[in-house]
Amino acid sequence: MRKKAVAAPTVRAEMAGPVRMVEATVFASIRPIIRKEFRQIRRDPRTLVFLLALPGFLLLMFGYALNFDFKHIPLAVCDQDGTQASRDFLARLGTTEYFDILYRLDDPRLVDGLFGRDQAKVAVVVPRGFADDLSSGSGAPIQVLLDGTNSTSAGTAVGYIAAIVQSASLRMTTQVLEGRGFRGLSVPVAAEVRVWYNPELRSALFLIPGLMAFVLMIIVVVSTSFSVVREKERGTMEQILVSPVRPLALIVGKTVPYALISLLSAHLALGLGYLLFRVPIRGSYPLLLLAMGLFLLGGLGQGILISTVTRTQQVAFMIAILTTLLPTFILSGFVFPIRNMPGIIQAFSFFVPARYFLSALRGIMIKGVGIGAFWEQILFLAAFAGLTITVSAVRLRRSSGVEGEGRKRR
Amino acid sequence: MTSSSIEVRALSKRFGAFTAVDAVSFDVRRGDIFGFLGANGAGKSTTIRMLCGLLEPTSGTALVAGHDIRRSPEKVKRSIGYMSQKFSLYEDLTVEENIRFFGGVYNMAAPDLASRLRWVLEMAGLRGREHSLTRNLSQGWKQRLALGCAVLHEPGILFLDEPTGGVDPVSRRAFWDLINRLSEDGVTVFVTTHYLDEAESCNDIRLIHAGRIVGAGSPSALKASTIRNPILEVECGRTVEAMDLLRREPWVRDVSIFGVNLHVGVVEEAEGRRRLAARLEQAGIPLRRIDRIVPSLEDVFLRRIEDSDKEAGR
Amino acid sequence: MKAVLAILKKEFIQIRRDPRMLPILFLAPVLQLLLFGFAVNLDVRDIPSVVCDQDRSPQSRAYLDAFFHSGYFTRRFDVGRTEDVDSRIDGGQAVMAVIIPRGFGERLLAGRGATAQIIADGTESQSATIGLNYAAMITSRYAQGLLAETFVRLRGSGLRPVLIEPEVRVFYNPDLKSRNFLVPGVLGMILMVMTMMLSSMGIVREKEAGTMEQLIVTPIRPGQLILGKLLPFLAIGVIDVVLVTSLAAFGFRVPFRGDVLLLGGLCLVFMLTTLGLGLFISTISRNQQQAMFTAVFFMIPMILLSNFVFPIETMPGFFRALTAIIPIKYFFTVIRGIFLKGSGWAELWDEAAAMAVFGAVILALSIVRFKKRLE
Repeated sequence: MRKKAVAAPTVRAEMAGPVRMVEATVFASIRPIIRKEFRQIRRDPRTLVFLLALPGFLLLMFGYALNFDFKHIPLAVCDQDGTQASRDFLARLGTTEYFDILYRLDDPRLVDGLFGRDQAKVAVVVPRGFADDLSSGSGAPIQVLLDGTNSTSAGTAVGYIAAIVQSASLRMTTQVLEGRGFRGLSVPVAAEVRVWYNPELRSALFLIPGLMAFVLMIIVVVSTSFSVVREKERGTMEQILVSPVRPLALIVGKTVPYALISLLSAHLALGLGYLLFRVPIRGSYPLLLLAMGLFLLGGLGQGILISTVTRTQQVAFMIAILTTLLPTFILSGFVFPIRNMPGIIQAFSFFVPARYFLSALRGIMIKGVGIGAFWEQILFLAAFAGLTITVSAVRLRRSSGVEGEGRKRR
Repeated sequence: MTSSSIEVRALSKRFGAFTAVDAVSFDVRRGDIFGFLGANGAGKSTTIRMLCGLLEPTSGTALVAGHDIRRSPEKVKRSIGYMSQKFSLYEDLTVEENIRFFGGVYNMAAPDLASRLRWVLEMAGLRGREHSLTRNLSQGWKQRLALGCAVLHEPGILFLDEPTGGVDPVSRRAFWDLINRLSEDGVTVFVTTHYLDEAESCNDIRLIHAGRIVGAGSPSALKASTIRNPILEVECGRTVEAMDLLRREPWVRDVSIFGVNLHVGVVEEAEGRRRLAARLEQAGIPLRRIDRIVPSLEDVFLRRIEDSDKEAGR
Repeated sequence: MKAVLAILKKEFIQIRRDPRMLPILFLAPVLQLLLFGFAVNLDVRDIPSVVCDQDRSPQSRAYLDAFFHSGYFTRRFDVGRTEDVDSRIDGGQAVMAVIIPRGFGERLLAGRGATAQIIADGTESQSATIGLNYAAMITSRYAQGLLAETFVRLRGSGLRPVLIEPEVRVFYNPDLKSRNFLVPGVLGMILMVMTMMLSSMGIVREKEAGTMEQLIVTPIRPGQLILGKLLPFLAIGVIDVVLVTSLAAFGFRVPFRGDVLLLGGLCLVFMLTTLGLGLFISTISRNQQQAMFTAVFFMIPMILLSNFVFPIETMPGFFRALTAIIPIKYFFTVIRGIFLKGSGWAELWDEAAAMAVFGAVILALSIVRFKKRLE
């Protein structure tokens, strides 16, 4: 009889019961892991410094150090003609900021030695008869000698010289024509050059987003690649696996603290880039946050995946380094344009999340374009993050089913 | 040479504000099995690590095999063998590879190594398992392999830091048989343990508590000097209550719980038996049995710790 | 010596016994060189471009032909409206744009001077700079050609055009292939990463496993232990050197002009520096995680300041000075010198000396820092 009086509330409670239970288990299993990871990070200040301060520090250092602005290339000249025309011409090379005339040679054969000892990178030889050839109109040859070892700087130098030579002869030709009364004769075709996004062509704008992606990727993967395998080696993993924690909850719990810290770290890098190197954020910040979050999750997922498939910290470390350090540096588009790579290699770069992040980053920060220009990149980042985290969880579930590998080692 | 293989004088080790070992002094005679007895954290491992040259003492000196542990730790290392409480051989090497490795590190000549290798395999009962990965051995076998590696180069002094932790009783017995044999061959064995039954096998013992030595001598001498009054083993109901009760009696020297029984130290045996029975009956606690027993090292140890704590005003 | 041998043998056994180690040690370098050797390419050629020809005259077509025959640019898109140019560059499909305004041909014929608009995506500042240089050169050469036609018409008046004709000769790398410059660099990078990775775990791993304690109570000397750890890694390094240099020379056809033995010897000296640095990190670290962080902390600056791609000449003074203590910088001079220039001992002895000094100092430091004590 008494039961009947409270029947209604009981039914309601029963209905609420299971729902609350599900919520409780998911939360209950993730939260203690997050808390534990945070505590461990806090007690191990080195990890925190590594995650938080290192990206900013490296950006600070290398933002100043790295650039491709080839200027003041050491130049050797050899004037065999010794006329006013040859002196004028060589002086023109020396007055640009691109070249510094460091050596004036009597004998062009000395160039060999200068190149061998890396004392000059470019040499210009004006042969005897230069002035005569000029006035005869038969074309006055000069010799440009280059140290081609560093093809990039050599290519840039060739470009500079060719442009200077071309404009010099063009100017002289028009002068001759004008001297003969062809007044008002302008240069027939001129190129009007406009540079978008980075009008001063500062390489900082190109390199700093790349540096950010490079450093964040390495640090995030390296710091999490230890997470699971260390617990395996120490035997604490068995303890967690026998508890009712679900693998996915474990992975998520391990990821969240690192994700938050590295997001903070990424903002530190962004702030430094803006303050010190005037690297702007022209596009939408929420989009940037989205790309960054997905990228970091992917990196963390990769780190944890490495950790779940390895047995020892040593091997985990090696795989983490081998899959991040050079691949991110070389295959992300940081310095080497992806369009230059052969198709197969481009296919490999699909597995380098920094590639997508970088092009999204450059798009948002420097170009200020909207999602239309790089939605595929965002999609790839999301897919990578989802894939690595899911595979880690699956791997973990399987290893908890079989005899723990940690036990065999004990 | 003196008759002592180890001479320790006022040896101390501090970690920050914590004093792990506090001015201990003792001598170890050649060929003895010397037991260093104490609870976890009493300073046993710290002492042994200082004597092996693994830790530098904060103050004090010690001579091991005639070499000063501060001035010439490397000479010390040449004359000792050491086995740590944690298994510390290479798990990914086979039995034979481990033995050969340590033979190489100790710079042993090939023929010597070959004969010692056979000896170690024989001694440790590892014949037939030469090519097993160490990882796959049972704990008892690992222990014996570690001992074999520690005595491979025939050291005059052997340091064993809690050698039988985590080993089953049968393996423990086998292990101690090996130690006795080594001692018979003239090896000085310095062993730390918290198993009191193991300590009974030692010729000479030091009890260490909170970094200080609280007792010294052979097991029998220790018992004789510490416990002069008879000890009665009492089997009764409500042991905890009985213990509290008896503690307050003036004729009771001390009471402690051993398993389900009480050990009660009394002034005189017959008198003690009578008063005990009467007191328990008065309290309504059923008494099943009273026996006079020979005191164990455990009794000695607990008494010494109690005395030392009393002295320190704790 | 026996002790060194014992350590050496033990290291080899342990490496052989871990099934994951062998592919990491010998397959990874080769795969990496294959992958990265093809990926590193800074040649500015075939820059994807978009054209917006609003004039559609014979003159505009002639100019565009001159532009795209140069080989530096690829005509990827042809659009009618300038807004379409914007979207191609925003989306990153094109890096350069040429816009020819209406009236280009007429102005040329009238001798009034015409203008073509060139737009470059400045985000890739490096390619943009070079691309713009080329564009300027092509344009003035085209202008020169037009002027030359004027001279032809005036031939009777005895006038001659003024022409300076640069005759370019490139030493060492005549086609200016960036691959020839970069592949030896990738090779050096791989060697550095492999050797540092291995050695930085060398000692700390034993500390964590507890075997170091057993090792410390033996009479082994720190120098013997370090040497016993160093030699196996050096042996692995030598195999890797042989693998990757032959791949670079035969697979990638990077010209090899120097002395093989000199290269081999200097590779050894270089590996002493990286192995030494790794072992040093290992001796000062308490656990593997610490060692790994420290190794990464050292490797990132070494990659960036090595002269691999970022030119040292363009760095500010402080950083240029800093590169003096980066051994791989010297190694790059060595390996590029031997491969491309055929440099010999006379040119490279100072680099060799710098590396040897660094290696000796860092190994001595590891031996000193390696205390046969527990903490």
